This record gives sequence, structure tokens and C-alpha cells, in this order.
Amino acid sequence: MGKIQNQIFSSYQRDPVLYDEIFNNKGEIKDIYSRLFELYGGHTIKEYVHLNDKAKSSFFNQGITFQVYGEKESTEKIFPFDLFPRIIDPKEWEIIERGAIQRSKALNLFLWDIYHDQKIIKQGVVPLDLISSSANYLDQMIGLDPPGKIYNHISGTDIIKHNDGNYYVLEDNIRCPSGVSYVICNRTALKRALFGVFNHYKTHTVTNYAENLLDLLETVKPNGIDIPNVVVLTPGMYNSAFYEHSYLAKTMGVELVEGRDLFVENDFVYMKTTRGPERVDVIYRRVDDAFIDPLEFRADSALGVPGLFAAYKKGNVTLANAPGTGVADDKAIYTYMPDIIKYYLDEEPILNNVHTYHCSKPDELKYVLEHINELVIKPVDEAGGYGISIGNRLTKEQIEKVKAEVKAEPRKYVAQPIMSLSVHPTYIDDTESFEQRHVDLRTFTILGKDKEFVLKGGLTRVALKRGNLIVNSSQGGGSKDTWVLKE
Amino acid sequence: MLARVANNLFWMGRYIERSEHIARYLNVNYFSSLDAPHQLSQSRQFVLRSMLFMVGSPEKDDTKELVESEVLYKIGMDPNDPFSILSNVRYARENANSARDLISTELYEAINKFYHYVNNYDADLFIRNSLHDFTVNVTEMTAVLRGKMRGTLLHDEIYAIIMLGINIERATQIIRMINAKHQDALMAQGSYGDKFSNSYEWTTLLKCAESYDMMRRFYKKSPNSISTLEFLILNPNCPRSVMNSLNQVCKHVKVLDPSKKYDKTSTSFLVGRVRAEYQYKYIKEIEEDIQGFIEDILANLVAISEEMEKEFFNY
Amino acid sequence: MEYIITYHCENSYKNPVSGAHWQFLVIPLEDDTQKIESINFENSLLEKGEYSINGFGFKTLRFKTSKTFSKVTFTVQLKLWKENINPFNFTPETDPTGSFDILDRLDFKTNHQTFLKSSKLTTLVNQEKFSYTFSKDLSIFQNLQNLNNFLFEHLTFETNQTAVNTTLEEVITKQKGVCQDFAHLFCAMGRENGVPTRYVSGYLHQGNGYFRDSQMHAWVESFIPTIGWIGFDPCNGILAATDYIKVAHGRDYNDCPPIKGVLFTSGENVTSYKVQVESAQQ
Repeated sequence: MGKIQNQIFSSYQRDPVLYDEIFNNKGEIKDIYSRLFELYGGHTIKEYVHLNDKAKSSFFNQGITFQVYGEKESTEKIFPFDLFPRIIDPKEWEIIERGAIQRSKALNLFLWDIYHDQKIIKQGVVPLDLISSSANYLDQMIGLDPPGKIYNHISGTDIIKHNDGNYYVLEDNIRCPSGVSYVICNRTALKRALFGVFNHYKTHTVTNYAENLLDLLETVKPNGIDIPNVVVLTPGMYNSAFYEHSYLAKTMGVELVEGRDLFVENDFVYMKTTRGPERVDVIYRRVDDAFIDPLEFRADSALGVPGLFAAYKKGNVTLANAPGTGVADDKAIYTYMPDIIKYYLDEEPILNNVHTYHCSKPDELKYVLEHINELVIKPVDEAGGYGISIGNRLTKEQIEKVKAEVKAEPRKYVAQPIMSLSVHPTYIDDTESFEQRHVDLRTFTILGKDKEFVLKGGLTRVALKRGNLIVNSSQGGGSKDTWVLKE
Repeated sequence: MLARVANNLFWMGRYIERSEHIARYLNVNYFSSLDAPHQLSQSRQFVLRSMLFMVGSPEKDDTKELVESEVLYKIGMDPNDPFSILSNVRYARENANSARDLISTELYEAINKFYHYVNNYDADLFIRNSLHDFTVNVTEMTAVLRGKMRGTLLHDEIYAIIMLGINIERATQIIRMINAKHQDALMAQGSYGDKFSNSYEWTTLLKCAESYDMMRRFYKKSPNSISTLEFLILNPNCPRSVMNSLNQVCKHVKVLDPSKKYDKTSTSFLVGRVRAEYQYKYIKEIEEDIQGFIEDILANLVAISEEMEKEFFNY
Repeated sequence: MEYIITYHCENSYKNPVSGAHWQFLVIPLEDDTQKIESINFENSLLEKGEYSINGFGFKTLRFKTSKTFSKVTFTVQLKLWKENINPFNFTPETDPTGSFDILDRLDFKTNHQTFLKSSKLTTLVNQEKFSYTFSKDLSIFQNLQNLNNFLFEHLTFETNQTAVNTTLEEVITKQKGVCQDFAHLFCAMGRENGVPTRYVSGYLHQGNGYFRDSQMHAWVESFIPTIGWIGFDPCNGILAATDYIKVAHGRDYNDCPPIKGVLFTSGENVTSYKVQVESAQQ
């Protein structure tokens, strides 16, 4: 254990095996955190508890909550928020930002290709199987040119720092990545609670996300429209991300619509207003592909708009993200990301990929089955941290069960070495003290026509259970305000 | 604005207003009955029945012995009873949720706080000894909400729709109170000094409508049936009067439909017509047939609400 | 050849419907061999229809209503000119081995992946019981013809045995079915042998005076290297000729059902169709 001299950190247990974001391996505070460390040290833990409670009730009063569906009644929960911010050095951020843009652009070119000439497949860089056996590849999108040639307008890139001190991308989320509203709420909450600390750091703002989003969405308007009418399409107020949908609509100053507010006539989309129908040109949709149009996809969808896809196909409305984009965030595609980046951009990947074993390849399957206790096994097409098995946490029976599942359907699984997510001091309610918890980082990238934007900040997610590596909010994760410092 | 969301905002206004009136009615009736001059007015059963009648859930069985704690729970805190204050506040917040991108953060937070206050209120405590605390807080919080609406919303379509909801509901609730108290006054008459026209129930009615002080100032004498009804129905300067509500509705509906052309099918036309009818009414005409008047005006308010639905909220 | 085609459909619902959208995929495709000369459509709710397209670009006809009803009828009537087609009018494959080599090429497989992968209704199971393997000694066309005959001989046409969502597993077990099932099996087996094959929905002219209630027909088209798409009707064991009026194609039935509806109601409904194809000249 290193020496930590600070009142509120007096009981901080530093595990030297883990990469701590604020202490170096000698237990000394890193430069970038030292001022913050001092400032926080000026508080007693009592004051801290008080501030923490205040922050919680502020989230509650603002209605920044999500529904947890229990057996009888659903309850409202806040997404746990930690008062100790994460700081990212400007030089490190520069790499993350360039890396995120590089990935988003490469994925966009990849999507264009697989829905047009399919060169990358014909040249054998990625296997045909990746699209032909993907449930997320939409044959209906073949040959369709989305406005501005953009598919993944909004991408969320999940990045971690491994114990080698390097950043690795774990996942690209390009269907409907959520969480950006929490980035902004966390900042607001931290400002309310500990405004003084902001005087000592030059931190980039995060409140400019919505204006940039609107700006970029307007660049992908359908042909022949001067000033497009943009809307946000939500599945409704019972969706767990509804707060975010309403936040984005509000801050962009556009309507928040549900499927039933829209209708299609002669392949144009309209919304029903108090003054009659009003045409809609760009839809930032937070409804999954399968549900957007019951006449084209799932007929039982009550969330969609009958005829929407035809309107899209005719070029009369823009959907962001484009339908069929999900194929590129299949975990199987992820493993080809370095090749995809090289193929389209002729560049080396800026951010590392975690090495991935494809269970669909017989030799790799063999390796996976033999080394299962050193690996994380992931289903290719589940989101939200479900279905993940971490090899060294499994009992013998569980290992056999996972092996059997993988053997039965190898195409459905990939495996990766167990990455050691970095840890960050996090205030823990139960013990009323700071403890090490694993964190990751989700960045938000927006692509428009000849324009791009990365939110300087991001969502640092914290696995609140001790030792847990899964940070998703649905699995008991919390979050931290994330400061990207100015040079 | 989206038609669906407009509908939600309209109902948000109505539910907020409704919860306030129910709270005040509970409070005033309960506490004024404790030392009411008339025997029947003091009777627990009488008061509890009046409360149920007012919220629209009258007890039909005359012989049934009502239990105070059950009635209070039902009207105040029962999550399964759509008439309860709790349900009304829930609906109001749900409607606000669906429109939170349109209303100010300040208004939303106030509604949200209001909801959490009501939702987390200890039901046991409420039944036993906190009726006063709870109902006063509900009425005060709704006053805060009205302030936030006026002070933090742009006075445009959105504001107009919420105000339409509030005013239609206010007129409706005032009429419901008049109806309930009119019934009470009829029942509680007979003995010395407090015949129907001078019944103590008129004072209670004015207090329920938070209009007692204003009324005293205006008439400078004790309220009787005719002065009370005149004040609460026809006086355009009384902020709680039906007339005032209709004036407000008239003003706000014009924001939604600014056209001045003659269109006898529009909501605006209907509102103007209804208002004109009461604007030039003698209170004597109303007093001749109070029951008929109550039915008429309720029917008119329903018709206005339905017209609005057809014209603006159709989705 | 000129045809007069009538598509009629009647839906009754157990509980009243308070609004609906319908999409019809019943208008014949227009290309060099098929031209629509006139078209007329109506519905009992007197709603106006509009043309649109489905996800694969085929022309659809859409109606929507906000009326309340419990029964609705639709009728589409059209006059169509069709070129006389000799299905054997193509240059045969000169080199069967060469054709098989093309099937094996990655770029060929990639271009045709849509009609090479199995879909929900064309997934083959228990192949040991029922399969068809192509012979490399024959041309692909000959193989497909043999497959056509094989299905025609081994499956029995019988209605009410299967429904539109019947899987191939069930069809193979029963060895009975209707035109959709024949087509699905052909698609599955063609694709299994590496030949891009698509499900086709359309009308079949079965001779005038044929007034029995009839439904839309289903057959397939296979892509043969150096030749192109050729239509086969395994249900009748022949090639698709002048009598076959194509409406649309897809991976399976789910891509081209004649009617799709989105309804605000609960409970069951009964649908009946009547399709009539008459040739105008006789």
C-alpha cells in the first residue's frame, strides 16, 4: 500500500495490481489530480456525505430518473452519480478524439460499401458471412444513398484504460447510443455541489452537444429542403432513456414525437400539430430498426410509423442513424476494425482494439475452449452487458455450460482476453468512504456532411459493485463527471 | 405544437387545478364543520358524504356508516382511486413528463417535486393527524406551480393551452362545489336562523373557493345564497368565478385560433357564445333553478372541452 | 397478350376496428415484357389510395383510414399487356463446369448474397430426409429443371395443410402444401446448391372460364451464370411463361405478401381473397 495523506482518503485501499487513474504505482498523486486532491481533502467525510445526498435529491427533483421494472410496481431510480470527477489530460484526449473520429468515419465508409459495391468483402478483407448471417444487415438498404452519405450520424465509442496504461476500444455503439444527457447532467450536478473546484481547472464545456447535433443533422437534410424540420422520435415516456430524448429535443429546440404523432402521405412524413399537419424532414430516431415501420419491418410495432421506410427510400426524409447501421456494431465486426480502418482510410488505427477470437473459426474456437478461464465470452448480438461470461469468475459447472453454449452456436460468440479496466476513487455510500472502482469511458461522435464533432467529455461509467467489471446502468453502474482539460 | 402533447398539457393544467380544489374542499369542510353552528353541519357523516359528492364519487347508500379514515384515504392518498389527490398529481406529472421538452425546467422541477411530495407523504400520518398539513401544502404547491407557469413559460400557445385546462377545470370545480354546497344547504336548513338562504354552508363554500375575504370586501355583509352565487358565478373580477374562468378561456383560445372570421363550428365561437350567455345573466334567473343552471353550465364546459379535443388535439 | 386481372379481398373483424393502414403488393411489375394499360381500385370505406414502394422497390398501393368499421373490401382491377414469352429462348450454358466455377466465386456470392442466404421461411432442416444435390455433369439450367420436376413429383398440392408462415420442416414432414411451400422449398434447395434463387409472387392465368376462387400464385426465379434470371414453377413442374404475371420478388413470402395491415383493434379477423385472371382476346 502506498502512502496517502489526505483526510478523506485516509481509508483508501490501493490495490497495486490495478491501474489507478489518480495515483501512480508508488501511491503518489498524479500531477493532473493534485490540485483536486488537495481541494477535496479540505472537506471532512461528513461534509461529503451531505453533498452527496444533496446531489442525489437534485437528480430526483429534476426527474433525471429511469424506471426499474419490478414484479409489482415499477420504481424510479436515479443513475448513481459520483462527486469525484475524472480528469483527462489534453494530450490523451487529443488521441481519443482523433481515434473516435477515425473509427466513426471508417465505419461509415464500411456501411456505404456493404450496402453498395461490397468491395471489402469481394476483396476478402472481411468475410461475407459477417453480413449474410447478420440479423442487423438490411437487404432493403442495398443501393440506397442516405442523404449526405452518412449512416452513423451518432456513435458512442466505449473505451477503457488497461493496466498497461493504454486506451482500448471495447465497443462501437452505432444504433441508438444513449448516455449523452447524463454527461451534461453530471456536469450540472457537480457544479451545483462543488462549484469551487472549477476555478482551479480549465475544463471544456459539454453543454454544446445539442447545438452541434442539430447543426450536423441539418447538414444531412433531404434534397430540396432549405431549413429542415428536425424531430426526435422516442418510443415514449416509459422508455428508460426517455429523459435523454426529451432533453435532446428540448435543447435542440425541436419537437419530441412518438410514432403516433407522425403519418406518411404520398411518401412524405408529417406530424400532427394543433394547427394541422407539418412536414418533417430529419428524424433523429431513438427507436430500433425493427420497430420504425410496421408495414416494412415488425408488423406488431406500435412505436413506428406506417410507410416511413418508403418515404426514406424515396429520399423524402432523413433517418439518423440510418436503418441497417446496426450491422456494423455487431461484435463480430468490431474484431475487424483495424482492417476496416486500414482498408478505407489507409491509416493505422489510432485507438487499440482488444484482440478477439472468433468462435466461428475452428482453430480459434479450439483456443477459446482451451483457455476459457482467461477469456471473456460475449454473445455477438446482445447489448447492455447481457450474456457476458468472465472466464476467471466462473465455477466449474458454469464453465462447462458456457463451453456447451459456445460449441452449439459458435457464430454467436466471440472471446477476448480479460481486460483490466482502470480504477478510480469513487465515493461509496455503504462504507462512507472512497474506494477503487473500475471505470470506462463512452465518447460521443457526430458525423454530418463534411463535418464532425466529438463531445469533449464523455460518460465515465463506474462499476459500483466491488471488483465488478460491467459498468452498464442496467447492471448497477454509476457515472462520473468527466473533465477534458484545455491545453 | 404536437396535437398529442397539447392534449397532455391541457390535461396537466386540469389535473393540477383539480388536485388543488379537492385539497381545499377537504380542508375547509373538515375544519369548518368542527364548530359549525348547525347540528347537521357538524355531523361527521354529513361532511364525509359532502366530500365524496364533490369529488364525483358520491355514496349512494344512505344508510351506510362511513368511516372517516377510509374516506380521507380514498380522497387523499388512494393510488387506485382515480379521483384521489394522489392520482390527480400523478396524472399531472405524467402529462408533464411527456411534454417536458416544451415546458420550462423550473416548471417541470416544481411539478416533479410536487409529485414526490404527494407520493412520499405518509398515508397513515395523513389519516390520523396531518390532513391540515397535507392539504395546505398541496394548495400552496399548486400556487407555486401557477407562479412558475406565469413566470417561466413563454406566453404563447403552450401557455395558452395550460391556461385553458386550468380555467375550464376551475369553472368545473367551482360549479361542483356550488352543487355540493347547494345540496348541503338544502339538507341543513330548517331550524332557527340558518334557513337555506342564510345557511352556514355559503360561508364554507366561499372559503372552499378561497373567496371569502374578497366577497366580504365586495358586499360588506354576511354571505347569503344569492350574494354568494352571484359572486362565484357572475362577478368577472373574482378570480375564482365562473365568469372569470370563461373570460380567461375566451382569451386563451384566441391564441390557438387567432382567426377573427365567423365560423360557427370553431371552439372559439362556442366559448364566446357560452360566455355571452352568462355575461348578461341576472342572478335571479339562476336562483330560480339552481339545479338546472348547474347542469347547463357543466354541459357547456364539457362541450367546450370536446370541441377543443376535436379542433386542436386530434391525433 | 392482354389480360384483365381482378384482385378482390374482404376482411371482417370480430371487434370493431378504429383505424387502419393497409399496403397491397398486387400491382404487376412493369418491365419490357409487362405493361399496365389501365388500373382502377376501390374500397368499401371510400378512402383514397396512394402508390408507394416497399423496401425492395416494388410498387405498392396503400390505404389508410381513421373510420370505425368491422368489415372492409378492396378491389383492384387492371388491364395488362404481356409479351409472348418462350421460356427456352436463351443461349444455353456452353460450359457447365465454368458455370459452377462462377457460383463459387466470392464476388458472385457477394453480389447475390440476398438470394443465397436462407431466410425464416427457406431454412432447410432434416436434410437427410429430403434433399436435392446438383450434379456437376449437368448444366445448372438442367439441374434446376430436374429440381423443379423433383419437387413437382415429390410434393402433393393440397390446400389447408399449410399456412403462410409454415416452416419447411413442417412442409417436408407432410410433403404437402400449396404454391408458396413449393416455392420456398425450391428457393431453399437452389440456394443450398449455390444458385441465387428468389421467391416470386404474381398471377397465373389458368385459362378462361376458370372462375373458381383463386389466390395469388407463387413461383421462383433462379440466377444462372451467363444467362440470367429464369422462372420456374415447381407447383406445376414447368417454366414460367406468358401466363405468369409477376408482381414482386423477395427472399420469401414475408417480403411479398399481397396485403399487409396495421390495425387498431383486438381479436380475430377473417380474410378472403378472390383473384381472377382473364385473357382479353378470347
